Amino acid sequence: MDFYLGLAQTLGVHALLGLSAYIVLLTGQVTMAQAGFFAIGAYVAGMLTVIAGWHIVPALAAGSLVTALVACAIAFPALRVRGLMLVVATIAFGEAVRLFFFNFDYQVWRGEIQVGPLGGEGFRQIRYFPEHGWSTLEVMLFIWGWVALALAALWWTDRSRTGAVLRAVGEDEIAAQSVGVNLTAVKVSAMTAAGAIAGLGGGLYAHYTTHIEQGSFTLVLATFAIAYPILGGLSSVFGTLAAVLFVQGFLVEGLRFLGDWRNLLFGALIVLAMNLRPRGLLDAATATRLKRLFAGPGGAR
Amino acid sequence: MSGALLQLDGVSRRFGGVRAVDAVDLTVAKGEILGLIGPNGSGKSTIVNLVCGLLPLSGGRIRFEGRDLAAQPPHRRVAAGIARTFQNIRLFGQLTVWQNLWVAQCAPTERSVRRFAARWLGGQRNTREAIGEPLEFSGLAAKRDQLAANLSFGEQRRLELARALAARPKLLLLDEPAAGMNATEIAELDERIRRIRDRGVTVVLIEHQMELVMSVTDRVAVLNFGRKIAEGSPGEIQSHPQVREAYLGAGGAP
Amino acid sequence: MSALELVQAVCDGLLFGATYAVIGIGFTLIFGVMHKLNMAYAAASLAGAYASLLVLHFVHAPALVVFVLAGAAAGVFGLIVYLCCFRFIPLAAPLAPLMATIGMLMLIDESIVQLTEGMPLPYPVLFDDVMLYLGELTFRGDLLLVFGVGLACMGLMLFLLYRTRLGLATRAVAQQSMAAQLCGVRLTRLNALTFALTGLFGGIAGAMIGASVGTLSPLLMLPVTIKGLIVAVIGGLGSIPGAIAAGLLVGAFENLFQFLRGVTERDIYVMLLLFVFLVLRPGGIFAAGRGRD
Repeated sequence: MDFYLGLAQTLGVHALLGLSAYIVLLTGQVTMAQAGFFAIGAYVAGMLTVIAGWHIVPALAAGSLVTALVACAIAFPALRVRGLMLVVATIAFGEAVRLFFFNFDYQVWRGEIQVGPLGGEGFRQIRYFPEHGWSTLEVMLFIWGWVALALAALWWTDRSRTGAVLRAVGEDEIAAQSVGVNLTAVKVSAMTAAGAIAGLGGGLYAHYTTHIEQGSFTLVLATFAIAYPILGGLSSVFGTLAAVLFVQGFLVEGLRFLGDWRNLLFGALIVLAMNLRPRGLLDAATATRLKRLFAGPGGAR
Repeated sequence: MSGALLQLDGVSRRFGGVRAVDAVDLTVAKGEILGLIGPNGSGKSTIVNLVCGLLPLSGGRIRFEGRDLAAQPPHRRVAAGIARTFQNIRLFGQLTVWQNLWVAQCAPTERSVRRFAARWLGGQRNTREAIGEPLEFSGLAAKRDQLAANLSFGEQRRLELARALAARPKLLLLDEPAAGMNATEIAELDERIRRIRDRGVTVVLIEHQMELVMSVTDRVAVLNFGRKIAEGSPGEIQSHPQVREAYLGAGGAP
Repeated sequence: MSALELVQAVCDGLLFGATYAVIGIGFTLIFGVMHKLNMAYAAASLAGAYASLLVLHFVHAPALVVFVLAGAAAGVFGLIVYLCCFRFIPLAAPLAPLMATIGMLMLIDESIVQLTEGMPLPYPVLFDDVMLYLGELTFRGDLLLVFGVGLACMGLMLFLLYRTRLGLATRAVAQQSMAAQLCGVRLTRLNALTFALTGLFGGIAGAMIGASVGTLSPLLMLPVTIKGLIVAVIGGLGSIPGAIAAGLLVGAFENLFQFLRGVTERDIYVMLLLFVFLVLRPGGIFAAGRGRD
């Protein structure tokens, strides 16, 4: 049972990663920065509960806020480059963050042991949940509570004018500008929101795994982050969620018996998926068909 | 000038060695329909892009309502009251008709927090009235939930126009709105442009369809190789020797 | 540390930078022609170097043969990448090829890790016992070879691009693919050839990377990919002269900071270099200011 709860925790945190990438991809910016945001949120929230003794909720909030600020800061120079240059810039950002934490030490004494991040060794003993008697189930529900919140917020955004504006920017920047949309504000806001969501995910990740290190926040993680919305299709947040469940739940766990060959299969599956369904699992056409299926004859909006 | 809504003083735009627009002076009076014609490559679309802020000026000044537009980004100019349509339709194809109008719905003043919240966070209910009008005007009310990419060509043109109107402009720049239209559609367009003017919107019409230009405009300015070579009433322009020379007519009876 | 040591570090870095320049050219050329990034390029190049090692299992071949084989193998891998990631994906889905090449990168990386069990492998080196002295500076023979081969590759690529019909067709497609097709250029043929040729040169660059330190390690894949991308971006996506200059610059910068701050920190400074360029010259080294896609 604990195994499935652990899996659910992973799914929840990856869902936040995917949603973070989703909102930026809507505006047409391809970002590989999510792993970097994740890392910042993880370290900040971890340090706040472990070193400063904060309660988990304000720690998560602070981690999310710090990440959002960093995201906002890098969004501005990122505006000066478009499209694929942005991919490279965000890859470099992610790597820079990882390397930063690889070289980052901040330890304090807690009783007889030292706690805090220790460069390449990572950050161990993030034991807020065990120390406060949280059961695995409670942690899992806690995580999914946040996921539900993020899903709700993004779903609502999709239905509001903000959602239409985000997508308009993603489709045609020139047309968007010409009808009064402030491109800078939209793109920076999207990146900032993404930073907040990914930072939150990172903070949760740090606490349920209790041990984080720079090696967890690699290009591969950033790839998963954008793979979820791309595989899931950008028409709906639920596509991203479905992709997370499919990739992490089915592929990662279901194919665990393959052992080391699993990673190889991922690569191959991604290539296959992109050739067979280039617009994602839940692209606009499929989404429309599903809607009609559920709405039934005479169903309306 | 008091009646001038838009004023171009010595406006130039160079691309490397090419002078796309060369020291053009142009005044658009409030409430008029100004036609802007000229052979292909004469700089008409470039002028629209300059006025809208999509291209920076190489020289000269553009004033709107007396104020220099200077380096204002495009979205600010829209907020100030300038809107345009595109020669090649640039709709948001993956958004619905309603959403296309929604994005453009830009109140001239959005000072209050309540209105800000309503605009950005509100669902479709809040803005029904504001979008309803351009929607009705375009005749696309029945298709409001259709993806823009699935509309017919004529419907897309109407949506493009409605979207520009949804921004509540004072000045509307139409870049070849009649391209690809048949006679009936052009007559409808003619009527629509007049109705737009009747609502107090100033119109600049760039067109090749001479019948439309002659019929609907109050004044016409003619460009050739980036320079303004003539300006006057439609009738004067028709018989202008330089215009005839530069612009071996696209339709239109003398 | 002395000024001499600094200069030495920079020189050594410049020499090695030739490999980055070739990889950067590969990235930037594919971007120029297809307006898409091939994230798997560096991986395919290094895979070519690995493949060339296979020969040594059977025959004792001279190093130069191994290097050439690396190029040939990487050319084949490049073609495979083209077929898997670009040939059959419609133009209308812009994110799909990018994602596919990332998948390909993971596939190649993992395959190599599996096949070599994660252990670094020795790679043939030439002229490592030769030292050239210029005043007080030392130039290692193997690095000079790397630099020379890199220059030769760059020269050949430039020749192909600017002095052959193939190159003309490539440049035509890069500027106006529709019009080029109307003029008779067979697009899929050309694209396949572009991938094969850039793969060829990339493989030789991969061999040079191996030859400069004497080992090939799967841990190289990601850093070389990232630095190759950084070189392409700093040089201006689509600009070959830019990639050349940027490659040398990144090589020098990297080695300088390795000397100053050690191996674990040096890459942070390379990233910083990228960000500086993005802020100040988004169009690349030789561009006049604002960047474009």
